[in-house]
Amino acid sequence: MAQVVISGLQVGSAYALMALALVLVLKATDVPNFAMAEMGLLPAFTVWLLISHYHVNYVLAVLAGLVAGALLGVIVERFFIRPVIRHSHFAVVFMTIGLFFALNSIVALFWGSSPRTIDSPFSGTFTVSGTVVSYQAAAAIVVGFVIMVGLHLFFRSRAGIQMRAIAEDRVTPRLLGVRLPRVFRIAWALAGAIAAIAVVLAAQGSVLNDQTGQTLILTGFVAATLGGFSSIVGAFVGGLCLGVVENLAGTYISTSSASAVSLLVVVVVLMFRPEGLFGQTGVREI
Amino acid sequence: MKQRSPQVVARRLASLVAIVAVLVVAVVIPNYLNGYSLYILTEVAIYAIACLGLTVVIGWSGQVALAQAGFFGLGAYGTAYLDSHGISWFVAALITAILAAVIGMLIGLPAARLRGFYLAIATLAFGDLMGQVFNEWTSVTGGPAGLPVDLVSIGSLGETRSLWYMSAAFLAVSVAVLWHVSRTRWGRCLRAVRNIEIATGSLGLSATKYKVEAFAVSAFLGSIAGALFGQALTFITPSSFSVTLVIEFLIVVLVGGVDRIAGAIVGAGFLVIIQEALQSTGAYQRLVFGLSLLVIVRFLPSGVMSLVYSLGRQALAVMARPAAVDEEIEPTVKVAS
Repeated sequence: MAQVVISGLQVGSAYALMALALVLVLKATDVPNFAMAEMGLLPAFTVWLLISHYHVNYVLAVLAGLVAGALLGVIVERFFIRPVIRHSHFAVVFMTIGLFFALNSIVALFWGSSPRTIDSPFSGTFTVSGTVVSYQAAAAIVVGFVIMVGLHLFFRSRAGIQMRAIAEDRVTPRLLGVRLPRVFRIAWALAGAIAAIAVVLAAQGSVLNDQTGQTLILTGFVAATLGGFSSIVGAFVGGLCLGVVENLAGTYISTSSASAVSLLVVVVVLMFRPEGLFGQTGVREI
Repeated sequence: MKQRSPQVVARRLASLVAIVAVLVVAVVIPNYLNGYSLYILTEVAIYAIACLGLTVVIGWSGQVALAQAGFFGLGAYGTAYLDSHGISWFVAALITAILAAVIGMLIGLPAARLRGFYLAIATLAFGDLMGQVFNEWTSVTGGPAGLPVDLVSIGSLGETRSLWYMSAAFLAVSVAVLWHVSRTRWGRCLRAVRNIEIATGSLGLSATKYKVEAFAVSAFLGSIAGALFGQALTFITPSSFSVTLVIEFLIVVLVGGVDRIAGAIVGAGFLVIIQEALQSTGAYQRLVFGLSLLVIVRFLPSGVMSLVYSLGRQALAVMARPAAVDEEIEPTVKVAS
């Protein structure tokens, strides 16, 4: 049981990070970004390429992936989102769907659909009161937690407060000297980097191929919805819960029921709590 | 008796002629097309029917419901299953569509409480859940291995032509009914619910009732389209009804304009034809598809059809400058966030 929960938390960490990236972009720029996971997929393949072909050190490769993710976020925001964002909400949604197709097919063209693995330097296991925990699972959970706390702190910094202000009201903060393009750029860069980590973590949990993003985007949205879309902590807890529920269902019902159960959870939760769950209540309700 | 200006009469007459012309073309066109082209045209009609459902639920009632791929699949599987158990195809399609409408109502009821994004996710999850059912309920659906479909042939028409006539006829009927409904009480109330939900309550209109009915209509159309789609595919697998299909439906309504009946047809034509045209690009198909979407949105953010519509409006305005304007006020629809 505890074993199942821990591996659920490991998967959930990737979901949670994807949810954080989605919430970040949604809060700052009001865009539901369907291309978020694909934006993480390209950097994740960069990480894989660096490690397996150029034998770059793991930490350096992941750092390069982070930079690639942030850069991709900036490029997407500047050249694809910003030109249409004032036009209509539909146009932006449409744009992210187009990006989803384009990025996904770039990955498929370059690397095909055969599964790859990103080797983690964290091998081996340790035992906590009878439960065997792999270092890899522990690392995934810790990374997720650290990023969540980091984001939480970021929203208390100057740039973060500006972002929150812009999310509340588009006009007044600009009168007070907040530069909207800069805030958007920071949000998309951060989200791109977080999405890259999310995909790398998901790939380490199973495999990396051109399908990885498609599962992750759905679970990311589901996790963000569970968390109520506005709170960082909520999205994070939502992601972890989703991972645990999926794993429990996979173990105690059937392997194939895992994703169905998590979808059922989101439908049921939204029926009773139309605004999603927040923080601790999420744990109890599920 | 209402006095109509000559311009209005002329326009009515022109649209009548246009409708008759389209119907005549639909009847005779199989004689001039090869099987492949007719198949493509049939596919356009099927997509248009499914997306008319989205026009009602997303365009008119303003609810971003993304479960249509699920109802599409339900129509395909339900009809094929009943058909193979001795029920005539038409009755089977009708029974399945009514079942879909009931399910649509059942999810519409709680969904009416959800707003914007939460609704989108809940319905997306529900649609995906139906996909899981198709995958898992092997005794009925054949699971991932798929289910063969018995093909329907009307008289001596042959299967391809029969399917075209069935799809075209159903599309024509749905367009006629929806067009009529859009200018009667129900259609207006639906749009009132979308635009000013708070006010509808004080007028004694139940917003929930209209939303749930919109869900039911949408599910019904989706299911019928799915039944026809099963005929077109001849062999159905769960992967035919995945999230990709939802995205395709979204592209249709976004290209054509989400609250226009013509939008569903034009958008469906755009999607099917562009996909077929890109077939020859092989591995690059998805890339070209994605890039063309990006270019379209970048330079025509209101959809391809916005250009056509605005040109058409300008032409009309030039032709009938002094005429009384009896066009509807165009409401703008936005995805609530």
